[in-house]
Amino acid sequence: MKKYLTAYSIALQETLQRRWTLLMDRVGGFAVVLSLYSFWNVLLGDKASFLGYTRPEMLTYVLIINVLRSFVFTGRGWQLVGEISSGRVSSYLVRPLRYQGYALALDLAQKTIHVGSAFLEIGLLVLVARGVFIPRDPVAWALFTLAAVMASLIFFFLEFAVSTLAFWTSESGGPLFCFELFLQFAAGAFFPLDVLPEGLRRLLSATPFPYMVYFPARVLLQKIAPSEAVRLLGVEAAWLAVAAAVAAAAWNRGLLSYAAEGG
Amino acid sequence: MGKWPMTAALTADALTKDYRSPIKEPGLLGGIRGLFDRRYKDTRAVDAVSFSIEEGELVGFLGANGAGKTTTLKMLAGLLTPTSGTARALGHVPWRREAAFQRRLSLVMGQRTQLWWELPAYETFRLNKDIYGLSEAQFRASLDELVDMLDLGAHLSIPVKKLSLGERMRAELAAALLHRPSLLLLDEPTIGLDVIMQKKVREFVRGYNKRTGAAILLTSHNMTDVVELCRRVIVIERGRLLYDGALDALVARYADHKILRARFSGPFDAKKLAALGTVVSVEDGRAALQVPRARVAASAAALLRDFPVADLDVEEVDIDDIVRRLFGGA
Repeated sequence: MKKYLTAYSIALQETLQRRWTLLMDRVGGFAVVLSLYSFWNVLLGDKASFLGYTRPEMLTYVLIINVLRSFVFTGRGWQLVGEISSGRVSSYLVRPLRYQGYALALDLAQKTIHVGSAFLEIGLLVLVARGVFIPRDPVAWALFTLAAVMASLIFFFLEFAVSTLAFWTSESGGPLFCFELFLQFAAGAFFPLDVLPEGLRRLLSATPFPYMVYFPARVLLQKIAPSEAVRLLGVEAAWLAVAAAVAAAAWNRGLLSYAAEGG
Repeated sequence: MGKWPMTAALTADALTKDYRSPIKEPGLLGGIRGLFDRRYKDTRAVDAVSFSIEEGELVGFLGANGAGKTTTLKMLAGLLTPTSGTARALGHVPWRREAAFQRRLSLVMGQRTQLWWELPAYETFRLNKDIYGLSEAQFRASLDELVDMLDLGAHLSIPVKKLSLGERMRAELAAALLHRPSLLLLDEPTIGLDVIMQKKVREFVRGYNKRTGAAILLTSHNMTDVVELCRRVIVIERGRLLYDGALDALVARYADHKILRARFSGPFDAKKLAALGTVVSVEDGRAALQVPRARVAASAAALLRDFPVADLDVEEVDIDDIVRRLFGGA
């Protein structure tokens, strides 16, 4: 366990070392939130509510997206693709180390810094933009945190699984990019899924994707009764188990292929 | 197994590896066809290679590019699974990748890095300390020794990206040896280094071998590495074992010639040189001849008698040439 903690601490240091990359990352993320915020502001106009969200709720949804983007949508996918294609992954395979645990430690370091930064940004926004709904119910916060942590792990494992395509093809960057884009759409990271037609929404609800942004956001906004939220957390946990199993299976299959084909 | 003595650190028994690679047909049409109907070609990279290395031995592993050296090393390190045959390293089957094996193994690939780029090498060392489960005391002792031998002291606190190639390579070696592996697989450890740095790395490898008794298998394109470090060499060619034995014997077997090098003080008839031996080169009033050992004295005498020789040298054939001839299938 200690090795993964050390990896976490080293990764924290390295992220801080790359100050400019971090800053640009955050500026980029903030720009998305700012444009979403302005977009909804204009769309709402002087309407009191839209799609069942009051104006402050909709604005809060946008802010929650900012936090969840930073927390959920960071993974090690691109690094993994690079390490597999360059053969660098070998240097981990010859050491007594579980690569997935190692990658997760590095990812957590990244999340730690991004979440810290995201809350800072929101603080700034709340000061500027009035009329934001700030939930005060501790139960909602607790359920939200749990949902977000699981969402983050689901994303990590799914992205990890997609990235292992690099074991078989040198063109795994394309699928990974599409996957990430589709995921943001299907998770509700661009807009609440209530915007979508009923059929499509139902279809998505049978996938793990809405659990990654839409569900935690609605929990925090108290749009879901606590008992229902607990039930859905159970479903989310099941998806997490599936995602972890898929990632492990993909990794093991990939390693077999790596071991057979060379690198 | 049972074929090898128990003190062997490493044995390979008929180790064989086939690679399967898709055949790319030429042109765009070929590429599109390849999407639907991909054909493969099997290539045998390593073909029934067997050898055994004792504890404490330092063995050179030679072969041309693509001869199968790296593939063999990767199988022995557990990165690749052989198509057939087997191997044992420190009592383990390498490709099972057991932690007990990995804690005693190190694979160093000259062109690859495990160091964290943005951070000082010291941070990677700390990480490896925990990966290999070293105690603080073990880590300190090992690190002090490596820093001293590799002359790393001043570079430990500088981000890796700011180190020169030679400094980085030495830091790389330190990272790979902190856990004092009993089996060390070195792939091109001096590649890209200047002559002084190559010498330092060689001295270090020799010292490590002497001090720890680790078995070391080393590949290098740099024959100086092999000549200075290894008494025994294993040569493979197109995946097959070509020679396994003393380096001296290899030289004696293949170096049946010497080289006569002459510098002339005046004009001479280059055509007549051919009578004395195989002409290797003639230019700018200089010539080099390859002469069978038995005829060296006679040829030298004739050269001095019949040509305006200003200077004459008799040299041993370069070991590089011997190996090149071996690889050329001589």
